[in-house]
Amino acid sequence: MSKISAADFVKAFQEAHPDAVKSMESTSPKRADLVVEYDDFIDAAESLRDDFGFTMPVSGGAVDYPDDDRIQMIYYLMHPEARFMLTYRVDLDRGDPRLPSLTQVWEAMSFHEREANEMFGIEFEGHPNMIPLLLPPDWKGGHPLLKDFKGEGQQ
Amino acid sequence: MTEEKNIERVFDNVPGSGAAYSLIDFIAGWARKYSIWPIHFVTGCCSPEFMQVSGSRFDMERLGILPFASVRQCDCIMVVGVVSRKMALRVKYLYDQMGEPKYVVAVGACPTGKGPFYDSYAVVAVDEYVPVDIYIPGCPPRPEAIIHGMMLLQEKIKKERRIGVKD
Amino acid sequence: MKEPMIEPDVMRISWGPQHPMSGQTRILLDVDGEKVHRIIADLGFTHRGIEKILENRSFFSGIIPVDRMAMVDTANMSIGYVTAIEKAADMEVPERAKWIRTLICEMSRINSHLYAFGLQAESTGYFPAVFLWTTVDREVLLDLFEELTGARWSFNHFFPGGVHHDFPDGFADKVLKGVKYLRDRFKDYWDAMVENPLFENRCDGVAILKPSDALRLGATGPTLRGSGIDIDMRRDEPYNVYDELEWQVITEDACDVMARTKVRFHEIGQALDIMEQVALKIPEGPVKGRVNAFMRVPEGECISRVEAGRGELGFHLFTDGTGNPYRVKINSPTLRNMYVFERLAELNEVYIADIPVIINSIDPWYLDSDR
Repeated sequence: MSKISAADFVKAFQEAHPDAVKSMESTSPKRADLVVEYDDFIDAAESLRDDFGFTMPVSGGAVDYPDDDRIQMIYYLMHPEARFMLTYRVDLDRGDPRLPSLTQVWEAMSFHEREANEMFGIEFEGHPNMIPLLLPPDWKGGHPLLKDFKGEGQQ
Repeated sequence: MTEEKNIERVFDNVPGSGAAYSLIDFIAGWARKYSIWPIHFVTGCCSPEFMQVSGSRFDMERLGILPFASVRQCDCIMVVGVVSRKMALRVKYLYDQMGEPKYVVAVGACPTGKGPFYDSYAVVAVDEYVPVDIYIPGCPPRPEAIIHGMMLLQEKIKKERRIGVKD
Repeated sequence: MKEPMIEPDVMRISWGPQHPMSGQTRILLDVDGEKVHRIIADLGFTHRGIEKILENRSFFSGIIPVDRMAMVDTANMSIGYVTAIEKAADMEVPERAKWIRTLICEMSRINSHLYAFGLQAESTGYFPAVFLWTTVDREVLLDLFEELTGARWSFNHFFPGGVHHDFPDGFADKVLKGVKYLRDRFKDYWDAMVENPLFENRCDGVAILKPSDALRLGATGPTLRGSGIDIDMRRDEPYNVYDELEWQVITEDACDVMARTKVRFHEIGQALDIMEQVALKIPEGPVKGRVNAFMRVPEGECISRVEAGRGELGFHLFTDGTGNPYRVKINSPTLRNMYVFERLAELNEVYIADIPVIINSIDPWYLDSDR
């Protein structure tokens, strides 16, 4: 899967996994965005790593949409030969966000999931080491990056 | 340290001891002000400027200021840069471990009053945790400003009428 | 009589924020005698909540906290944010402004790599002289910054649409003189560090990171290029004028600490070449496009990736039509490299005396991992 372009990748992935994809597009030659269904999250990720060659984990973060009542978790992946970036996204319920951990597919997502846990309150099932990464260990102020976080946390 | 003002010295009742003690305090103050040793501790983004000040062009060591690693043997803690909540606890531990007399210099706009991160949930002003003697503003302060701040600390030490008692 | 069996006795050392060589972090080492079993990085000592405060600032004043994400390398931090805003708002940047931005970004890169050398030389234990050399050589660059922008370290010179100041008179000649001075010093650094058998003994063969591991664990920057993989955002996703200048991506194949040091050396050489080309070939023209300090960006998203001194820095910008961003996600290079550092104790046999050398070959700057 070397030197494949982003647009061809979008077509190939949609043919391989038609039910898993909620929406997928390639906005420019170096970017591809994929929103996947919650139930196929791990299987699609394994397919990306094994069949399509996305072996480089870059980062992971989340965005809070209180109006739509969802939190979107985004993982950034890169293809080392074709050199374009894929954002792998899944929508979570804002009241109780939980997700199987992606460290079983790319272990380097460990730090980013720890940060998303303390900043947004997302529970990652199966994470090997879920302790706070950036906030102090006795932080009681809530989850800072949610849109309804008001003021400073007190310890 | 305020109790020290009233502690009796050994020869206080001997006539003429007041002059002798003030001469001793003067010489000790002169020696102490030219060898302020800060802890080698940087907390935030002003640290490259701290390194340039101790480098070859703006040499801090010609004033006697040597960053030193062992906490018990230092007189001063220079809080250089942003202080987050996690780091503020460490600043307090280090301040408690230092021996008297000790001084705190807040270098930069961030330990003074949060600087450009004024509305952040994770940044504190360091004078909520330790008492600060000298504030050096700037983001980052120029090396000349840091040296001027240390010279102000030297004057403050010189003005102490008894060793270690800050008025 | 049977000798009592000595159980391996693991002791946890806390190499903390107050240490001459540790930086602003705490690293926990599980050691048994001299051998390190496990490395745990305790980050977060300089966490300032930049992603949250950027939601509260306009696009122009958001550049101020972003610059302070890495004070030794500030131009490469702010160019990422500014490029993301310009892509999202579809703004044109004048040609001369792009050339000036290239010059400043390369000067920042040299600044950052010189800082890394100073620390690496000091961590091998017997080169504090080289550390003091780097403080003097950085002054050459800081004087050039001060003449152009007015500040030494965090100059906030870029904004969406151009740069704030044009070159003063005679500035291009001063840049060329600075390049010539740094080229002569480059030979001194090469003799003192790379060609020195003492330094080679400390660094050859230490902490080998194979290419497949480097990709799998998410390494970036000179850590990745020291293992033979040529990924560099200046060539893969060109910004500024990197696609119009002549330069090369530097890789080394030895995968150890010495290879990463050599990558940084040669990148300084390439940066000096780029500076010379910019000073000689810069076109005339305006430096500011349409300046609108209260700009609004239409709703959408934009990802920009730039190559900072430590690796790839990414900004994912979400906008909602107002004057503030909706969310800014920052992909930090040091956070990725710290994960690689933690796994190095499992991939190699690491002794406690090697730890400062290894961590300074990864070149972390905790202010951008903690944001």
